[in-house]
Amino acid sequence: MKIVGLDTLIFGVEDLAIAGQFFRDYGAIEAPIEGGLRFEALDGTGVEFYPADDARLPAAPVAGCQLRKTVMGVSCAEDLEAIRAEVSKDREVRSVADQSIECMDNSGFLLGFQPTIRKAFHLPSEQANAPGAASTRQVNRLGVDANQTIAPRTLSHIVYFVPDVAAAEEFYVRRLGFRCTDRFEQVGPFLQPMGTLDHHTHFLIGAPPHMQGVEHFAFHFGGPTDVMLNGSRFVEKGYQPFWGPGRHLFGSNWFWYFNSPFGCHVEMDADMDLHDASWRHRTVQLSADTSQAFLTRVREKWSPGPGTPKHGAYA
Amino acid sequence: MAPMPDLPRRRLCHVSEVNEGQARGFGRPGAAQDDLFLLRRNGQVHAYLNACPHLAGAPLPWRKDAYLSPEGSAIVCGAHGARFDPTTGLCFQGPCLGEQLRRADIMIDEKGNVFY
Ligand code: FES
Ligand SMILES: [Fe+2]
Repeated sequence: MKIVGLDTLIFGVEDLAIAGQFFRDYGAIEAPIEGGLRFEALDGTGVEFYPADDARLPAAPVAGCQLRKTVMGVSCAEDLEAIRAEVSKDREVRSVADQSIECMDNSGFLLGFQPTIRKAFHLPSEQANAPGAASTRQVNRLGVDANQTIAPRTLSHIVYFVPDVAAAEEFYVRRLGFRCTDRFEQVGPFLQPMGTLDHHTHFLIGAPPHMQGVEHFAFHFGGPTDVMLNGSRFVEKGYQPFWGPGRHLFGSNWFWYFNSPFGCHVEMDADMDLHDASWRHRTVQLSADTSQAFLTRVREKWSPGPGTPKHGAYA
Repeated sequence: MAPMPDLPRRRLCHVSEVNEGQARGFGRPGAAQDDLFLLRRNGQVHAYLNACPHLAGAPLPWRKDAYLSPEGSAIVCGAHGARFDPTTGLCFQGPCLGEQLRRADIMIDEKGNVFY
């Protein structure tokens, strides 16, 4: 059952134009579809938006939740059949298209499974020079270019608010073969499916039933500089940062969360830890200290020297 | 008529600059989030602090001045989608159901200047 990760998140929105503007400004790549909008990362994974009242859309899990379906990619058709065989033991599994099935998880989120749409692509990670390190950036290759084109590389993870964490987790772990890679006590688990080494593609947060929905979803970017630079451009366009930039402890990913018109945060992340089956999950209490190694906040660009205001730019 | 504002108040705008069904945020220059916002609904101007009751101090809009739902009938939090009645600030859907946005203590002088 090699689920490799998220392929597509499908939303029903009040205003398509707003959704389009958001993801164009986020740096995602527009891919034409009928009756809606689709935005992709470099590997072809992405997000889709349709008018909320589009009859083809599945129902929302609860009022106010704009996410209608979470589509995961599997490595081959046999994986699809394995999921169908396992999941159909206690719930309906529908075939929705050639090589595509769907079912409900234990919280009422609609899941789809399909042979993954991910395309291979080759780009270096962010290279760093460091004394003593064997691998460095090429000589004469610059570390940053203020005008560089930045696009998300792949859909990274989704975070659900669920009314019953144990029940929700049971489905992903026992039925779909996910592993818990780390856990915040009294909050929920970070989950990794069998077909990836990423620290998490899912994180579950226990919340009252009226809060059920999405806390955030994220795309992976090429490195911390991509996150910082792309996030700064986003801020300059007027988007509202919520948390970050900073670096998480669980997963080690650099993060920057933004408000969105989709009823959840949208994150940019980079450089997440990889874990295999030998990894033993950690459990800690969620706190400011355990959730991030460090946190910085946005401020307007300034530089010391000519033009610095009389009282300094430190005010 | 509201009394003339005390000096430390700062002028935000003129009431006529807040159009029906729209919102405008105001904050200190260079700050990462606005302090308060004004909106006009059914002709009336309302002012609230830019702080979602769900998470203390969390900014509401998803973009500068984007406080309202597309058709203008609700204030929407861009964090987890809480929805508030624009005329009362009461949350009617979302994580902080039943909680209230705090009104901002604005003053409008006889010329229609809005101060905070
Ligand atoms: S911070 Fe506003 S809904 Fe969560
Ligand atoms: Fe995240």
